[in-house]
Amino acid sequence: MDDLEMMLLEVKDTSELMVDLAYSSLLYDNKDIAGEVFAMKEYVDELTATVQQEAIKKALADGDVSKSFVTIRLVESLENICSAAKGIADVVMKDVPLHPVIKISIRESDVIITTGQVAEGSDLADRTLGETRLASNSGMWVVAIKRDRKYIYGPDERTTVLAGDTLIARGPSDGEEYFRDLMSGKAKLA
Amino acid sequence: MVETSLGVDDSKEKVPRTVREILTEMKDTSEVIVDLAYASLVFDSEDMAEEVHHLERRMDTLLYHIRIKAMLSARTRRDAEQLAGLLQVASSAEAISNAAKDIVLLLKYDSDKRPFLPIVLKEAEEKIKSLSLADKSDMVNRSIGEMGVESETGMRVIALKRGKRWLYDPDETTKLKAGDMLIVRGTDNGFEVLRSFASGERRWPQYPQPEGA
Repeated sequence: MDDLEMMLLEVKDTSELMVDLAYSSLLYDNKDIAGEVFAMKEYVDELTATVQQEAIKKALADGDVSKSFVTIRLVESLENICSAAKGIADVVMKDVPLHPVIKISIRESDVIITTGQVAEGSDLADRTLGETRLASNSGMWVVAIKRDRKYIYGPDERTTVLAGDTLIARGPSDGEEYFRDLMSGKAKLA
Repeated sequence: MVETSLGVDDSKEKVPRTVREILTEMKDTSEVIVDLAYASLVFDSEDMAEEVHHLERRMDTLLYHIRIKAMLSARTRRDAEQLAGLLQVASSAEAISNAAKDIVLLLKYDSDKRPFLPIVLKEAEEKIKSLSLADKSDMVNRSIGEMGVESETGMRVIALKRGKRWLYDPDETTKLKAGDMLIVRGTDNGFEVLRSFASGERRWPQYPQPEGA
C-alpha cells in the first residue's frame, strides 16, 4: 500500500472505532469516551483533507482522474460516518439525562457492548490481546481499556492487558458470559 | 395497526410498534449496512449493493416513524429534551446508512479504477473475507446461533450465498448448508479458525453441559 492507501485505511479503521465508542459512551453515559470521539473527529478531519489533497496531486501527476475521484468520494463517506458517530456522542455531552430507552436499545441489539475488570490471576492479565487472541476466542472486540484514570482507545494486538484494567468490548450477546468469566478468572483460555 | 403510507417503496413493510424496537433496529442496521457496503466493494457485488439500498430506504422509514412516536409521547419539557437526544441518535444512525449507500455508489466505476479498494479493505483491522462450507464440515445443518459462530471464532457472518440466492445479515436460526458461501468479518486469526471448521479439517468444539443445567 502507498501512503494514500494507508491514510484511507486509517480513516476507515478510525470510523469504526468512533461508532463503537459513540455507542459505548451512550450505554455508560460516559463523557470521557464521548470526548474522545470528538477528539478523533478532529483528527479524521485533518486526515480526510490530506487524503483529498494528495488524491488531487496524484491525478494531476498521472492523469488518472477516476481513481482519485473514487478515493475522494470514499474518504468523504468515511468522514460522514465519523460525523454521525460524533452526533451520537454529542447526546452524552449535553446536560440532559439520557432517555432510558437509549440504553435498553443498545443492550437489546444484535451487537452488544459490555464491560468488566480484569482480576489478578485472570488469563488475560499481563498478556497482549494478540497473545490471548481474545477476539477470536470470545467474539468480543475490545474498543477501550481504562487503566487507573486513563483510557487506551482502540487497543491492538500488541496492547498488553494488566490486572485491574477495565475493558469495554463489543460482540455477540452469547460471548459476554465467557468474556466476563475470563476477566474474573472464573474461566481459563482453552 | 395500519401504518401511514409514506409514498416510498418500503412503506408497506412492517414497522416496529415501539420507540425502543425502532431504535434497536436502527442501531443494528447502522452496523450491518456498513459491513455490507464494504463487502459489496470487496466482492464487486451489485446484489449486496442492492441490499444496502434497501436497508437505507428502510432506515428512512424507521426514522420517520420514530420521530412521530417520540413527538406523541412527550408530555413535559423534560420528556421533550430527553426525546430530542434519542432522536439525535436515530438521525445519526440514519446518517451512517446514507454514508453506506454512498460507498456502494462507487461500484458504478470500473473495477480497474478502484483496484486499491479491496486491497485497502483487506488490510483493515477487521477484515471482510469469504469461505465455502465443505460437505464434510460438521457446521452443515446447524444454525449460526446454536453453534455461536461469532462467540466461538470472533467472525461475524454478514451474508451468505446459497446457489444464486443471497441471505443478508442471517439471524441465529439460519441453518447452514453444504456449499454455502459465507461472507464474514473479523480478524485473520479468527478467519483461520473458522476456515478450519468450515473445511472439515477440525470438528466444531463441544462443551460439556454445566452440572445441574
